[in-house]
Amino acid sequence: MKKLDISKLDVLALMRYDACTRCGECTTTCPTGGEAQEVELVTPRGKILRLREFYKSQYGLRARLLGPKEVPEADLKDLASRAYECTICGQCKTVCPAHLDTIEMWENMREFLVENKLAPLPAHESIIKSIENYDNPWMQPRTQRSRWARKIEKDAGIKDALKEQVEVLYFVGCTAAYDPNIRDMAVNTAKVLGKAGVDFGTLGNDEGCCGSTLLRTGLVESARKTALRNIERFEKASPSVIVTSCAGCYKTIRQDYPRIGKVDAKVVHITQLVSEMIVSGKIKPGKGVEGKVTFHDPCHLGRHNKLYEEPRKILESIPGLELVEMERNREEARCCGAGGGVKTAFPDLAQRISALRVEDAERSGADILTTSCPFCYQSLKATIEAKGSRLRMMDIMELVAAST
Amino acid sequence: MPEGRYLKDKSWLYVPFFGALLVIAAVILLLPYETVYVRDEAYLDFFLVTMVLCVATFFIGTLYNVLIWMHGKGLTGSPEGRLLRVTGKALRFVFSGRLVKSLAVFFRDALYLSRLKDRSATRWLMHLLVLGGFAIMFLLDLVVTFALDFLRYEPMMSEDGWAKLWLRDFGFDLVGAMMLAGLSVAAVRRFALRPKIVRTELPDAASILFLFAVVLGGFVLEGMGIAGGIPGHTENVEYSFLGYAFSLVTPESAGDYYDAAWLVHGVMSALLIAYIPFSKLFHMIATPIAIEVDEMMSREVKGE
Repeated sequence: MKKLDISKLDVLALMRYDACTRCGECTTTCPTGGEAQEVELVTPRGKILRLREFYKSQYGLRARLLGPKEVPEADLKDLASRAYECTICGQCKTVCPAHLDTIEMWENMREFLVENKLAPLPAHESIIKSIENYDNPWMQPRTQRSRWARKIEKDAGIKDALKEQVEVLYFVGCTAAYDPNIRDMAVNTAKVLGKAGVDFGTLGNDEGCCGSTLLRTGLVESARKTALRNIERFEKASPSVIVTSCAGCYKTIRQDYPRIGKVDAKVVHITQLVSEMIVSGKIKPGKGVEGKVTFHDPCHLGRHNKLYEEPRKILESIPGLELVEMERNREEARCCGAGGGVKTAFPDLAQRISALRVEDAERSGADILTTSCPFCYQSLKATIEAKGSRLRMMDIMELVAAST
Repeated sequence: MPEGRYLKDKSWLYVPFFGALLVIAAVILLLPYETVYVRDEAYLDFFLVTMVLCVATFFIGTLYNVLIWMHGKGLTGSPEGRLLRVTGKALRFVFSGRLVKSLAVFFRDALYLSRLKDRSATRWLMHLLVLGGFAIMFLLDLVVTFALDFLRYEPMMSEDGWAKLWLRDFGFDLVGAMMLAGLSVAAVRRFALRPKIVRTELPDAASILFLFAVVLGGFVLEGMGIAGGIPGHTENVEYSFLGYAFSLVTPESAGDYYDAAWLVHGVMSALLIAYIPFSKLFHMIATPIAIEVDEMMSREVKGE
């Protein structure tokens, strides 16, 4: 009999499973279980009820009196697979009348699934091995990490933060560093920082994966090791500020690292830093960028970190740009479909979710869709191209760089 | 293998727990119940024994649900030891300066359901009627029992006393009507309209029907009492406005079955209490606790 070990479920999570009222408010707005496909088990309510049923049959009063009940292995595997169809976008947290912190619940549920040998999914294993062996999820050599900076290193004034003291450490992130289609995100960020005269540097080839993918897929121990390596490098570089252009890295370093080790520097997202510098006059967007732009709130930046206004302030400061909102914006913004390991394990599902978001953008009347997360950028851009949409996908730093 | 303190933790938890249960059982069994209208004492005794068993089941079920929480990550020691420590912390919290803030959170998020109000006015009202009705009825029950059986407060006992008319008659009917209205909306929504988000499985149907039967049964019983001229139901009956309305369509002969109906209603109410920890109704306990703990944790993170 498969005996479930619930010692990896948080005390708070177990409490929250009982606090679910089964109202179903979460089911309609859930991008994976309610919108892109109607599968109850993928919805927050479905997952909660099924897992609760399983562990109560082994730990509840009835189990104590009459003995624990066997949970069929196939049912457990079904739950595990469905649990990974969630992008952990946090829309359910926003709508839950019982105020359940579902983001924490889903990440913890995955940790529990890993601990009970029901996860990770085979599709995630190569990424996990790549992070553990190469320090990035793309199976790229460490020596190529800083390649993106070669052409602009001198112009932008990028320092090696492990050799020279810098005020700001730019944490590039694996996707912008390695993916040739996203590389401009790092290039433009560095250009903007350079033009503003910021004393900044990177960890170069010594930067490691932030561990976000490991944490989101439930491999907490592995993520801890990855995080500790980065924290050690942060200590060595000792910057005042760590800035990231990736929403996933931002969430991980800002929210997850303090649970693992001490990060002395202030952790900010590039949109916060640039927005501040626009207000203080260090960055002066002067050149016009014509067009109607709409901003897609990345889940890791918005719902997970409540950072909604800074990107909008930046866009509003660029001459010629008209900011229009999608019907669902800020807290209510739809997910792009790429998060939580969904794009890797369930690419079709990710694209269906992404298509809904692109349609949102089309309806807004915008001709430019912008965001501040490499995963959202990658996912939305691919859908725009596949759909033949009139929208142009641009990273927010690309717009700032074009205007300064 | 159980850890070193396991037995000690168990005795520290279970001895006071079962001691408290015995005290509650004694109070239930020994109260005078002079104003209970049932005529056959055997019915009253049967009800009281059922109530004691059901209250005990409620507490044991709740305890074991909470002990499941204590198996989780974040605490050390046996589940019983963890619960004792958490209880100690909770008590210290209750008597700390943060209590007022926590009560505000409780009223805003757990009782008033602030977030649901913004998303669906109908569902918010429906839930507020049921939950508000239930909470006030529970409080009213405590006040009335204390006034009747401990204080022997005359205005609560005499047929034309203000407390009897406004709290026992009008008050109970009002909160009962609130619950009945909320439950009616819930039942129509769940069984007739069936919106997409509603998923009806046995536990959902059972909870709503059980509550509905108990609340409606109370009014039917009151109607039978008034129609049949049962003592306590003969004067100023219009204060029990809904029971009075039911009495208008109830034959006088129904009074002959009043005792049996009283017992059925009483036993069903007791069974409902016992059912709470094993049903979706347990969220009445878990949700406010989860909301409070989350709020407490986030304040600790913010350093407040």
